[in-house]
Amino acid sequence: MSSPIRRRRDGRYAVRLDTNARIVLADLARQLPEAIGAHDPMVRRLFPPAYPTAELAGAEHDYRELVDTALANHHTDALRTLVATAQADTLTESEFQAWLDAVGSLRLVLGTRLDVHEDMEAPDPEDPAAAEYSLFVFLGELQYLMVEVLADDLPAEGRPEGVL
Amino acid sequence: MREQFPRRRRGAGGTVGVVPPEAAPLGDLDTILDEDVATDEPWLVIVWNDPINLMSFVTYVLQKLFGYSKEKATALMLDVHHKGRAVVSSGTRERAELDVYRLHEHGLWATMEQST
Repeated sequence: MSSPIRRRRDGRYAVRLDTNARIVLADLARQLPEAIGAHDPMVRRLFPPAYPTAELAGAEHDYRELVDTALANHHTDALRTLVATAQADTLTESEFQAWLDAVGSLRLVLGTRLDVHEDMEAPDPEDPAAAEYSLFVFLGELQYLMVEVLADDLPAEGRPEGVL
Repeated sequence: MREQFPRRRRGAGGTVGVVPPEAAPLGDLDTILDEDVATDEPWLVIVWNDPINLMSFVTYVLQKLFGYSKEKATALMLDVHHKGRAVVSSGTRERAELDVYRLHEHGLWATMEQST
């Protein structure tokens, strides 16, 4: 079966997802901006340290002061775009990138909460964490398909200089 | 997608990175140079293995942000996966911070340290 996600000739991205999946996505994405704004510990994974060692605590403090607002806005904007376009059949490139960011953020938050590790087995269906794990798997499948399409658009030989 | 890095405020206490000698009157060196950036050694940007981000996603981000070939980005991703970390770029402190920030925008676990 062909992938439910593809880049159209006009540059837009077609996303074939069922309405229930879209409702769930939007609902998840709607919850995060508030947690980000409130500096809820559950979103800490979205703000990794730049300078992880104790000797550079001062530099880390400066880095946090410098970037945290912009980083929070970046994640929040992407999540809000996902909420606003959750029912759309086609997305512009920037909306599609926002989906990728938002889905990535949701995976990081859910995955951290579930304490996932490599080669982890799915929890037992009776496990209270099973539903959240299923969401995590769904988001991973979606991210995988989105990356597949986006990676196709990049030149395999690379570019002479990365763009900013 | 926005790829904007907040500019560091200049002025007292706000300067980071390697300050060209001619820009720093000797008497002010202590206030201009952070205690931890007194050498010219490059800063290394490191991506760490994490159990959440997909391998294909990490490869894609490295291609997209740094313009690496698919082959190079894949090799770096595999280093991250198997060795736990990989140096993905290096340069001045300011350049490294920008790269770390762009990696953080994409949810990668990136840090920086000065080469020794």
